Amino acid sequence: MNLQWWCSAQAIPWDWSWRPYPGVWLFVLAAAGLYGLAVRGDGTGSRRGWAIAGFLTLWIALDWPIGALGGGYLSSVHMLQYLLIALVVPALLLLGIPESTWTRFADSGARPVLRFLTHPLIALGIFQIVLIWTHLPATVDGLMASQWGSFLIDVLWLLGGVLFWWPVISPVPDRTWFGAPLKMGYLFLATVLNTMPYAFLTFGESPYYGIYELAPPVGRLTAGEDQQIAGLLMKVGGGVILWTAITTIWFRWYSREEAECPAP
Amino acid sequence: MTLMSKLTIICAILIAGGLLAGCSVEPAERHEADRRERETGWRGIALENAPPKPDFTLADTNGDPFDFRAQTDGYITFLFFGYTSCPDVCPVHMASLAAVKRDLPVELQRRMKVVFVTTDPERDTPERTSSWLANFDPDFVGLRGEKATVDSIQLAMGLPASVYQPPDEEGFYIVGHASQVIGFSPDGSIRVIYPFGTRQADWKHDIPKLAGASSGS
Repeated sequence: MNLQWWCSAQAIPWDWSWRPYPGVWLFVLAAAGLYGLAVRGDGTGSRRGWAIAGFLTLWIALDWPIGALGGGYLSSVHMLQYLLIALVVPALLLLGIPESTWTRFADSGARPVLRFLTHPLIALGIFQIVLIWTHLPATVDGLMASQWGSFLIDVLWLLGGVLFWWPVISPVPDRTWFGAPLKMGYLFLATVLNTMPYAFLTFGESPYYGIYELAPPVGRLTAGEDQQIAGLLMKVGGGVILWTAITTIWFRWYSREEAECPAP
Repeated sequence: MTLMSKLTIICAILIAGGLLAGCSVEPAERHEADRRERETGWRGIALENAPPKPDFTLADTNGDPFDFRAQTDGYITFLFFGYTSCPDVCPVHMASLAAVKRDLPVELQRRMKVVFVTTDPERDTPERTSSWLANFDPDFVGLRGEKATVDSIQLAMGLPASVYQPPDEEGFYIVGHASQVIGFSPDGSIRVIYPFGTRQADWKHDIPKLAGASSGS
């Protein structure tokens, strides 16, 4: 067996026999270990529950079979990985950081840089650059063929996602002006910006990604259909995640307003 | 944080973004196809002074004789030697050609023939070949002959003869064969080679050109 440490395109026929990716296990374990060290007994059970869900989702997204299929066979599964790594995992991990941990970390001197990077406009801008660059055909074809390239894309998604979600799910509300209406507007803007790559993928005349177009086939899905599913997944899957967040924020905001100003 | 620090970080982000956006990591094959298009106008490899269209007759999946030169005369023709158990190159080529054909104007679709010659006549019965090709396009033509006959056709075209690899413990074996598709203009005078790695966009670029091409044009 040709052992790989990270999922990337191998151009060998797909079969459903399990393959180990030790780099994925080490990465997820290291991230979870760092979290454990940083938390050091802070927080509640629910915070830890969010974090555990985040690490489990990260592992599922990176390891066999999703990681392997997305790494070199199906662009639709690659898109699923993007949704999980960039949109789901960061949100869960941020929900899993206890306030006291964040305060301790921020007080260590990182606050100014983090405060700047997590400014909504900067965070959204960086996330969009990551989103667009990591979905350009030249980037995907050039990087996904190597394990380091594939690793770089996954890490960029994760870091970009953390920055993107930070203004919305900050462990501490350090931007009081960025309230519920602005958060909803911020997320709505993200759904609009999401439309560009969606249209690019769904309505493309030919498959854009050589790595998936020329990959050994999986089932009877054609490369064109696979790309269309990827585009729809980006629009629908991304939309569901973002609109779930918007709806949650709206209901919480509404409940708070109701509690503060009860109807006569 | 000072204004200078903020500006430094903004500049760093913009530079990083610019570097990422401008960073060309596209594989070399794309540059090759681009170069060929600039130099020859074709995204495939156009052969200069191409020999005449090969002249052979093999049985189609109905068992009828198929005279390749005569029955493809006047058609844009793509010829490929492969086998239905092929796990990678063959299904990708067939799927690409089928997808490209579906997207062509009807007039061009009618003028295009794809001919698949099996290099594995032992496993590729007419029924199996027919049903495999129908997964891609029911109009694709499947041909079968003795291995020695097919090998001699390939050798005459400058392609290597196919080679059977030793079977695994379950009796499955791989057949080594040429991975390129050979395209012919309707009059047979132009021959363009499409190696594995040819993208659908490349076929779409070349097919209309192939349709209108002749050695005199």
